[in-house]
Amino acid sequence: MGDRARLPTIGPLLWYQDAMGAIAWLERAFGFEAGMVVEDGQGGVIHSELWLLGGYVMVVGPPVGDGAVSPATFGGRSTQSVHVQLQSGLDELCARARAAGAKIEREPADQPYGDRVFTCRDVEDHPWSFGQTVEKLSVAQMEQATGHKIKV
Amino acid sequence: MSAGFRSALFYQDPKAALAWLEEAFGFELVMLLEDADGNVAHSQMEFGDSYVMIGQEWSADHKSPKSVGGKNTQTVHVQIDSDVDAHFARAKAAGAEIMAEPETQFYGDRTYRCRDPEGHIWTVSQTVASVSREEAEAASGLKITGWR
Repeated sequence: MGDRARLPTIGPLLWYQDAMGAIAWLERAFGFEAGMVVEDGQGGVIHSELWLLGGYVMVVGPPVGDGAVSPATFGGRSTQSVHVQLQSGLDELCARARAAGAKIEREPADQPYGDRVFTCRDVEDHPWSFGQTVEKLSVAQMEQATGHKIKV
Repeated sequence: MSAGFRSALFYQDPKAALAWLEEAFGFELVMLLEDADGNVAHSQMEFGDSYVMIGQEWSADHKSPKSVGGKNTQTVHVQIDSDVDAHFARAKAAGAEIMAEPETQFYGDRTYRCRDPEGHIWTVSQTVASVSREEAEAASGLKITGWR
């Protein structure tokens, strides 16, 4: 937790209009834990690290410069999304997120590639997906199930 | 199993993005799903202990920065443990649009920031000094809760 030496290589940074509000919401909805929050003294957050299951995201805002924008002020559009892979408890997490006000876009459902997945929008319309492997498939089985050509 | 989360990035031309991210950042394509027309249905590129997913724009709400005036709702941070300047040189040579050259920050990381060919923003950092919270607060004038 919160140890710089153990930061995963990749960390998504998400822009919010109300970063402190978003941090509280992400803790409540998804179970994130804020390891670090750097405030600018005017209600803004210039850096934060929120941890969940060994992964982290950075929540910052309000957006400044560099073309940054929250989906909340961008017509609900996004240029990236975050995927969280769970070991267990996918349906329970979906229920928790829904209770916190997440807009569920795809209800939990088993996918042809062997994962159970739900997707939702958060408090400022950032898209999230959550997956949990429920059946381990071979590449050949996945190709047959999805109809896609798979290179690995 | 990757350690971190997976950022999924939307591109007008995901195949070009796969090639560019390999050339510029050294990402390795480990999985590619193509439909019957050769379009990218899903892909994963690995770097360090993590990976990113490179895909197409797939709805009016899921767009490349290239399609929405260069705006970014999220960015990807890459934390490496050696030679951020060499990483920078490689990205620059591949045509990354440099927004900030490598510079050592008050919190002890050396960081650069760039845009890829479709305008996605990436930051890359290497920790080069151990800085305490008190030192970082004094240097920046910011209120810091928690510290790494």
